[in-house]
Amino acid sequence: MNSKKIKPLELNFCGIKFDSPLVLLSGCVGFGEEYTRIKGFSNTDAGAICLKGTTLEPRLGNPAHRLCETPMGLINAIGLQNPGAAYVIEQILPALDFSETRFIANVSGSTLEEYVQVTRLFDDSPIDAIEINISCPNVKEGGVVFGNDPEMSARVVAACRAVTNKPLITKLSPNQTNIADNAQRCIEAGSDAFAVINTLMGMAIDVEKRQPIIGNNQGGLSGPAIKPVALLKVHQVYQVCKAHNIPIIGQGGISTAEDALEFLIAGASAVGVGTALFYEPLILPEINNGIKNYMQRHGIDHVAQLTGTLSLND
Amino acid sequence: MLNQRNSIHIEEAEIITHQPFAGKQFYLQVKSPQIATLATPGSFVQLRCAASLPLRRPLSIMKTHPDGGTVDFIYKVVGKGTQLLSQQNTGSTLSLLGPIGQPFTLDPKFSLPLLIGGGVGIPPMVFLSDQLRKQSKHYNPLVIMGSEVPFPFTPAPSQYIVPGLPDGVIAAMPLLEDWGITSRLTTLQGYPGCFEGYVTDLAKTWLDNLTSEQQQKVAIFACGPHPMLAAVNNLAKAYQLPIQISLEEFMACGVGGCAGCTVPIQTPQGLAMKRVCVDGPVFNGHDVVFS
Ligand SMILES: Cc1cc2nc3c(=O)[nH]c(=O)nc-3n(C[C@H](O)[C@H](O)[C@H](O)COP(=O)(O)OP(=O)(O)OC[C@H]3O[C@@H](n4cnc5c(N)ncnc54)[C@H](O)[C@@H]3O)c2cc1C
Ligand SMILES: Cc1cc2nc3c(=O)[nH]c(=O)nc-3n(C[C@H](O)[C@H](O)[C@H](O)COP(=O)(O)O)c2cc1C
Ligand code: FES
Repeated sequence: MNSKKIKPLELNFCGIKFDSPLVLLSGCVGFGEEYTRIKGFSNTDAGAICLKGTTLEPRLGNPAHRLCETPMGLINAIGLQNPGAAYVIEQILPALDFSETRFIANVSGSTLEEYVQVTRLFDDSPIDAIEINISCPNVKEGGVVFGNDPEMSARVVAACRAVTNKPLITKLSPNQTNIADNAQRCIEAGSDAFAVINTLMGMAIDVEKRQPIIGNNQGGLSGPAIKPVALLKVHQVYQVCKAHNIPIIGQGGISTAEDALEFLIAGASAVGVGTALFYEPLILPEINNGIKNYMQRHGIDHVAQLTGTLSLND
Repeated sequence: MLNQRNSIHIEEAEIITHQPFAGKQFYLQVKSPQIATLATPGSFVQLRCAASLPLRRPLSIMKTHPDGGTVDFIYKVVGKGTQLLSQQNTGSTLSLLGPIGQPFTLDPKFSLPLLIGGGVGIPPMVFLSDQLRKQSKHYNPLVIMGSEVPFPFTPAPSQYIVPGLPDGVIAAMPLLEDWGITSRLTTLQGYPGCFEGYVTDLAKTWLDNLTSEQQQKVAIFACGPHPMLAAVNNLAKAYQLPIQISLEEFMACGVGGCAGCTVPIQTPQGLAMKRVCVDGPVFNGHDVVFS
């Protein structure tokens, strides 16, 4: 590739071009258009957008309450509400403007077969890449149950790999003992990239009622509160990824350019923004500019040159 | 979807007035010219209460002054966010995201709108009244407001007579009086001039006094606590009246992105989980599934 032609924030992610390292995270921006209701918000400020977790059949999701704010964080238990893969592909994808950014499907299921079927459907669609969510904490079957078992994770990845040639991103759970081990197994099973991390399981209690605030009793914790955990997990997963040139979408609590830079330095090639959009919807240009300014100050031409530049203390 | 782009604005809104009332209630007026111009009755804002609490909180718009570019709210302190908001001083700024949501819709076929607001459900009823007074040729509304803490205004005797109401039920909201809109107040706390009972009891008294021809011109608009809405909804069912209700649920994004704020709604295709923020907050009461 002729590096002179690449803009500073542009990157090649598994063969697809991202105009920015910022990725809008699954479950935070609906099916890609919701935030464009806000004047000043543009999908062009994101390198890619991950759509809401999609299953084979429509799902109504969990009962109220689905959300609860905690110190610098948010617990959610949406329960994968979605209209089903066929609807997403037939009704939603055609209305998206693919000239503005890249769109990534987020695949979920309660059985291995369901992951495969949904992946196969998206393979036959204009979607740019497929993220398999083996780390959703809010459904009773599948999700994190698969993601916390390296053997099962690898089987899901291998089965999905067999039915698609699109870039395959595996979304890893932080709720497991050895995330690096799991990543290694998923690489062997054919994963092209990783999303690190999904939410941490958590709970909040209404002391007057002595009841969990979340209808589902427990949920996934996101937002600035989980950033240090996420950063360490990215660092750990990068140790197994670097030898294979496997990129990571680092995520978990990113809300400033400095947060994003930390993740890039720790080993991420791209960085996700989710919960922070709820706080400040127009944050994307600010983060993009902050990264650019940092690169200028440090004489870095391309954002990819930042990935994994961490030097550990002796 | 593409045609919904750019309908919601972010404004750094300066606090013009911030005034406490009894019962931990506050009146808040901010300068927010775009939201003041675009808001319609039923729409709300997502407001950042304080720098230390990043998640926004939803508040209904009570009144706008498009000329002066200001927006009015009434809120009650119930938790951390509203507590922090109540400490914000005049002159400081708040980040507002709005206007959000599907508004109430009027239909001149129903020329006798019955507006019912309970507690912090009062503000959207004031906004709807403002719209009705501008179309006074078509509508002859009655507004019923209920509260179990002192009303966030000083009630005054009404200059308008409502046939069929018990003697002495004369307390009204002065602002609505100024607008030429009839209102009555209800409470269980024995406040003077108020009807002693629930909003639905007074509404029923009023409805029973109408001819059946008049009843067919009634449409109900309601906002308030969940049990009140369920009762008002039952009333509408019993009298076979159209009803629009404004619902509440915890929110994160406020723009349809997170599916965190959903409520069960009956649709022709079966049960659906609809987002209060962008599919609501106003729904056809007959479609709402009350648990
Ligand atoms: C569309 C909409 C319009 C609203 N308009 C108004 C208004 O005009 N005036 C007003 O005073 N309030 C209004 N509310 C309710 C207001 O948003 C909540 O009271 C507020 O978010 C509570 O935040 P908190 O941090 O103070 O409380 P928290 O600490 O978050 O919670 C304290 C208590 O409040 C309850 N609560 C939290 N969020 C909500 C919510 N969204 N709805 C109902 N209960 C909640 C919780 O059950 C908890 O018991 C509206 C809500 C919605 C969804
Ligand atoms: C409301 C909400 C819904 C989410 N839904 C999904 C989902 O459907 N699939 C998925 O893989 N991750 C989902 N996530 C996880 C996010 O994509 C992201 O990995 C996580 O929130 C950490 O990033 P953040 O702290 O920037 O939000 C959801 C997160 C939130 C807050
Ligand atoms: S608050 Fe996010 S969808 Fe309504």
